[in-house]
Amino acid sequence: MPSMQPYANPRYFVILIAALLPVIIGLLRGRRHRNYESFVALIFIIAMFGGDKWQQGVALIAYVIWQLLLVVCYGKYRQTKNAGPIYYTVLLASIAPLAIVKLTPVFSPQPSLIGFLGISYLTFKSVQTVMELRDGTIKQIDPLFFLRFLLFLPTISSGPIDRYRRFAKDYNGVPKQDEYLEMLRKGVRYLFQGFAYKFIIGYVFGTLMLPRVAHMALMQRSAMGGTGISWALVAYMYVYSMYLFFDFAGYSLFALSISQFCGINTPVNFNQPFKAKNIKDFWNRWHMSLSFWFRDFVFMRVTFMIMKKRWFKNRVRVSQLAYLINFLVMGFWHGVTWYYIVYGLFHAGAIIINDYWLRYKKGKSLPSNRWTGALAIFVTFNVVCFSFLIFSGFLNTLWFTHAIR
Amino acid sequence: MDTKETVLNILQELTGEDLHDKMDEDIFATALLDSMDTVQMVLELEEQLGVQIPVSEFDRDQWSTASKITAQVEALQ
Amino acid sequence: MKRKLWLIFGPVVCACVLVFGTLLMPLHFGKPAPKKLAAAAVSLNQDVLLGGTIKNHAVGADYVPFIDSSELSRMDPFHPSVLAAKYGGYKTLLLGGPGTQSLTQFVDNQSMFKRLRNRKIVFIISPQWFTPGGQRRDAFAYYYSPMQLTSWLLGKRGGAADRYAARRILQMGNTSGTVRQGLLSVAAGQKLPQWQRHLLKAHLQILHNEDGLFSRFASVSKNATRISKAEKKLPASATDAQLDKLAGKMGAHASRGNDFGISDKFFDSRLRGKKIVRLQGSQASFDYRRSPEYSDFQLLLRNFAQNNITVQFVIPPVNAKWAAYTGLRDDMLTQTVSKIKHQLSAQGFNHVLDMSRDGKKASYMEDTIHLGWRGWVDVDKTVRPFIKQKQATPHYHISNYYLTRSWQQHVGE
Repeated sequence: MPSMQPYANPRYFVILIAALLPVIIGLLRGRRHRNYESFVALIFIIAMFGGDKWQQGVALIAYVIWQLLLVVCYGKYRQTKNAGPIYYTVLLASIAPLAIVKLTPVFSPQPSLIGFLGISYLTFKSVQTVMELRDGTIKQIDPLFFLRFLLFLPTISSGPIDRYRRFAKDYNGVPKQDEYLEMLRKGVRYLFQGFAYKFIIGYVFGTLMLPRVAHMALMQRSAMGGTGISWALVAYMYVYSMYLFFDFAGYSLFALSISQFCGINTPVNFNQPFKAKNIKDFWNRWHMSLSFWFRDFVFMRVTFMIMKKRWFKNRVRVSQLAYLINFLVMGFWHGVTWYYIVYGLFHAGAIIINDYWLRYKKGKSLPSNRWTGALAIFVTFNVVCFSFLIFSGFLNTLWFTHAIR
Repeated sequence: MDTKETVLNILQELTGEDLHDKMDEDIFATALLDSMDTVQMVLELEEQLGVQIPVSEFDRDQWSTASKITAQVEALQ
Repeated sequence: MKRKLWLIFGPVVCACVLVFGTLLMPLHFGKPAPKKLAAAAVSLNQDVLLGGTIKNHAVGADYVPFIDSSELSRMDPFHPSVLAAKYGGYKTLLLGGPGTQSLTQFVDNQSMFKRLRNRKIVFIISPQWFTPGGQRRDAFAYYYSPMQLTSWLLGKRGGAADRYAARRILQMGNTSGTVRQGLLSVAAGQKLPQWQRHLLKAHLQILHNEDGLFSRFASVSKNATRISKAEKKLPASATDAQLDKLAGKMGAHASRGNDFGISDKFFDSRLRGKKIVRLQGSQASFDYRRSPEYSDFQLLLRNFAQNNITVQFVIPPVNAKWAAYTGLRDDMLTQTVSKIKHQLSAQGFNHVLDMSRDGKKASYMEDTIHLGWRGWVDVDKTVRPFIKQKQATPHYHISNYYLTRSWQQHVGE
């Protein structure tokens, strides 16, 4: 049996929406068929990890049992006690599988046996649940609900990353009929926008143009004194950036669309990121569910801790350190390779410089009009595209691998 | 000094604006408050008003205006 | 609520009906412009090989198909397409690419062979195809045409050859769905169930329409301009001897930078430096005498016989200096070539140009295994009269013995 990858081709959508039809009809009638929905999810997950991907399927089952055990036990424990060391142990145990998967390629050519498609997105959800248990904002864990949250089909492989309490609010209620009709309307819109993004625009950039510019850039490895910097490389940078956005944004729109059909308002992931006026603004528009997750669970927590314990007096230093930690963690999360880590450092640097500029600007009356706005967007866009060139790993191919054949 | 005044004082220090007349202005939407300010605000509220606000309690929608913040703090007191 | 639902989903339903309606209708597309057809015929593009529209129109316009793997991508001024345009007065339709072997050509040209009844084609058959594994699976998947295979499945199937073909295609492991089901039926010697035929027919119609629609937007290759540029390097008229001399001169000039007589362009980019050192003696264990390719090749021969096609076969040589350097065994190659020739002559295929002993001639090959300059002139000496003159009606007697494992493994003296 060949495995069925989410949102890979038109057939998947037809089968998925047909399978979800009872859910949709139920919601139209003011009823949520939770068990049927979970049953559909289960079938599709089996199809996703069936065939030659069965090893990933086994890894997924083990992973889910592990996280469930941690969350349920910690939830029980947290009702009576609240010791720091226990919390940190549980947190580490929750992150451990992902850390192993990400670190394995550093030591071995074989990918880790415990890895599977979507492990990082599930980890975000369970780590967040543990943290909120510690804070006391989640009081009780219903194991079945936790499973449904963790394995919510539309977002299982690549997000957007939802939050436990936000999801619970949607899932435990039923939208009113006119609300749900509005959701269906949005769902259709997202679906077709996603088709246009991923299968048309993303295809043009990713499948038609990208291999050509990559080839051209590789042919000029020796340009500019051996650095390989050429016009073709510049072209690669822009083409890759466009491909990355349209492919990923398209994928996110699919997840959003199917969520809407299921009556769940999964948070949006992109908000016209290339219109950002500065790097901070960019991170409020690009892969939003991820950057907000990092903001709330890494950045804010780090600054909170540093400021509360008064390790630094200077607020500026605190934020700089927090940015550095935040983006380094994000870099490592993408994968333990030099280019993901440099990508993280690059963005930390960019946002720190951005802060300097904003502080410098504050007291002065600098001109602010249409043109300065356009200049800001232009500069931000190019800085971002350059960071994507680092992110793409193409420089690694260009500099550190030999020509094939 | 009552809770509302304290909240407004803290916000004025952070945003540089007097929000007495703008109790319902969204301080996140207008970019008056960034993440750093938010953390500082939570710390100041804890220190000056003696409430415990977990960082993850921080649902931006419920803490987005001066009057909402006041209400939240009062509920926690 | 119904009105609202219709407002939301109505446009989607209409769009689906329109798209599938259009794709399922038996559409007819006009002829491609002659210039476009000419460019596509020499482009060697993958979509030309996999499609039907371009090939069918080219055959209709009396183009002569040249089937090969990567031989025809070496476009110097003596390339068959150049000589055909300059002196021959006929047009070439080039079909092949790196990695195309018998099974790929068999599948991809199903619709064309039927239209070639009583006509002539040229077939370059490389000994390098006949490896112990035969057709490479990745290459088969890359050149796989669902449209051509579906139309083959819908034809009258049965008998040992069809069963063999279905089995081999299944072994390639890249088919799925209804096509795979159909292949399983044919391999088992059973008829396709009616519902399966209907499904395949609907699918074929969609694929036909897609091919008709998208062949207009096929990417253009630079080959047409390369060929017309190459034509300008040739004199207005020349005897074979004059051409041979000119080819020798150009070849010597283009390959002066290395000891193998290989084009310097190829040598510098693919072999110079460390790479060539690693290749010394690397082909000593190569063996082309036992291979499933012999039976795959038989599928093509059978198709040619069924449609009464007269075929000019060309067996290209291996660069002798290169063979010596890499340790490729000469006796093995001789036996391979005689096995191929036996399979051909025993079944009535009499037009065979065997160049396998010519690998040591100067300026004969552009690189290690691909013909160039004087080699192409020699091909033209045989191919031009073959195409220009009337040939006797062939008498083929096809034997299924060549589909058996015992022939695949047979090694003569």
